[in-house]
Amino acid sequence: MKTSITYTLITAALLIAGAILISCEKVSPQGVLMGNTSVDDRVQQSMINNSYFGMSWDKTLADTIEEYSFLVGSDSHITIDPGRLEEMLDIGMENEDLFFCHLGDLADTKPEYYYNTELALSKASQKWFHKYLVPLTDTLGNVYTDTTLFIDQRTNTIYREDAFDFLWPSSLPFYPVVGNHDITHNGWGLYSRLFKTTFYEFKVSTIIDGDTVHDRFIFLDSANGTLGKYQIEQIDNDVFNLLGEQKLIRHTFVFTHTNIFRPSLNEFASTYCREELYYILDKLADWNTTIAFWGHVHAWDERDFGGVHHITMPSMNFVDHPNGGDDLLVRVTVKKDGSCKIDRVGLYSKERSRTELDKLGYYTKAK
Amino acid sequence: MDSIQRLITSLLLGFAISTAMAQYYSGDHTFDGEHKNEASLSLTTGKNVITGPAIGNTLHYKHYFNKHWSIDGGVNTQYTKQQYGFKIKGEYHLKVKAFHLFASGEYMFNHYNRFNTNENVENISVRFERGYWDITLGGSFIGYNMMGDHYGEPITLTFGAHATLRPRTNDWNVGLLFRNYDDFYYENWNINWGLDFYYRLNPKVKLFGEFNIRPAGSMSQLASKYETTGKLGLIYRW
Repeated sequence: MKTSITYTLITAALLIAGAILISCEKVSPQGVLMGNTSVDDRVQQSMINNSYFGMSWDKTLADTIEEYSFLVGSDSHITIDPGRLEEMLDIGMENEDLFFCHLGDLADTKPEYYYNTELALSKASQKWFHKYLVPLTDTLGNVYTDTTLFIDQRTNTIYREDAFDFLWPSSLPFYPVVGNHDITHNGWGLYSRLFKTTFYEFKVSTIIDGDTVHDRFIFLDSANGTLGKYQIEQIDNDVFNLLGEQKLIRHTFVFTHTNIFRPSLNEFASTYCREELYYILDKLADWNTTIAFWGHVHAWDERDFGGVHHITMPSMNFVDHPNGGDDLLVRVTVKKDGSCKIDRVGLYSKERSRTELDKLGYYTKAK
Repeated sequence: MDSIQRLITSLLLGFAISTAMAQYYSGDHTFDGEHKNEASLSLTTGKNVITGPAIGNTLHYKHYFNKHWSIDGGVNTQYTKQQYGFKIKGEYHLKVKAFHLFASGEYMFNHYNRFNTNENVENISVRFERGYWDITLGGSFIGYNMMGDHYGEPITLTFGAHATLRPRTNDWNVGLLFRNYDDFYYENWNINWGLDFYYRLNPKVKLFGEFNIRPAGSMSQLASKYETTGKLGLIYRW
């Protein structure tokens, strides 16, 4: 009798749990068992796109530039209001940061959220275009016959006029990686329409006393809680070896979503399997990584491990920080002498009303 | 269509949770009516993300001092992973009404030669056992040393569940397992799924085996497979 009551209770509990799982849009039981895309597929697609679109964001700093900086944010989880992303990009442009990095979970996976994200990036692209790009001129100062060409004189990077719109990768220097919330509910389709890759690298080169030194930026896909076999094969095949220029690499910065270190008992532990966790730490040391950036847990952690400085970032979204905070972003400044400075940067914008967003052209009819 | 898929998946998940349960894996010889000392040898082979094919073996010995206290030791060698480890576990068995309750404390050491990493794990667990199922709950302290640095993770929940088709005293059995650990690792949130079986060849010898899927990133809607393994071994009891 007791056994029968116990099983009835267990069955009832399971039915209730099942009903909750089925009815909840964001906690898909299907997603618990399987990702909507495999990391292998995404990395293969990224590799093809890197090649097909000729993606190269390599930058060579002008001689006059004594230092450069980049701004890192994570877990913006954009829904209707992309205000925190706008604020991050505005802060970066105000501070003359060279580029922006994002550690994933950019927008929750609904088409309208991605529409608003794209619109925010387009608006930032326009500001960035007007701030930094000037018509390309020849050595005599005459504007090139092709008037669609512009140049960012800080890095001598040439852009076409279409950089005015957000047309990644040839516009706003915004470099994201995919996060777990970017891949559920077929989110990779939305993400990859905007950003063609989630596995890539570029370098920022500086000429010092006639020698060129490179700072390397590596972006890895860990949205499934694993790098996956294909990505690991690419890494082990030295895809990031920069054609043998290893000895000239001054700094390596690595960006990925899923964290290794657990900020405290209150946060989820890392979801990498044991060996893979050790593999990644070993690989970062092997790359002589200066700073590795992690997201996912929405909490700050900073530590040195294995000769690498690890920064786990807090989230920058409205839900976790409705009133903002002094330390939601990180700015890294790299000086010409190679020294690095880490500053935490605040975000303070408040979530806007639908009416306000509507006036700005954002899609606000989503539930 | 999506709703149907989600419904089916939910039912499967529900079934797994309800029947579920961890394990007849070589390191934890559940009570089947009487305590006898046991030694086991098993071979594990499979594929994973880091090394591709993997092969290794495990040796266990369990000694009962009396009807309550036992000690269990094991060694593990993984050839392709270039990993070896050992562990020692003390366990206390108490019968509480219809339940068999096993409280245990364990120390495990693993060396991952490929990454020059030493891993130390302390685990405290309680296992509730009945004829067809058992559930394990506990906590693990996982720490590792590499390149001269140490990191100790905050306590991680240990849980396992295992259900069998036949009572555990039967001469053969097939079970379904669901747990975040195995013979020589304790994971964080990566929950293994699998099937196991045993067949009693004679009163002293059992053949046992297991098919185990080790996902990456489960419990956060990320699940991708990290490793698939099969295990086959013999247990000798006396």
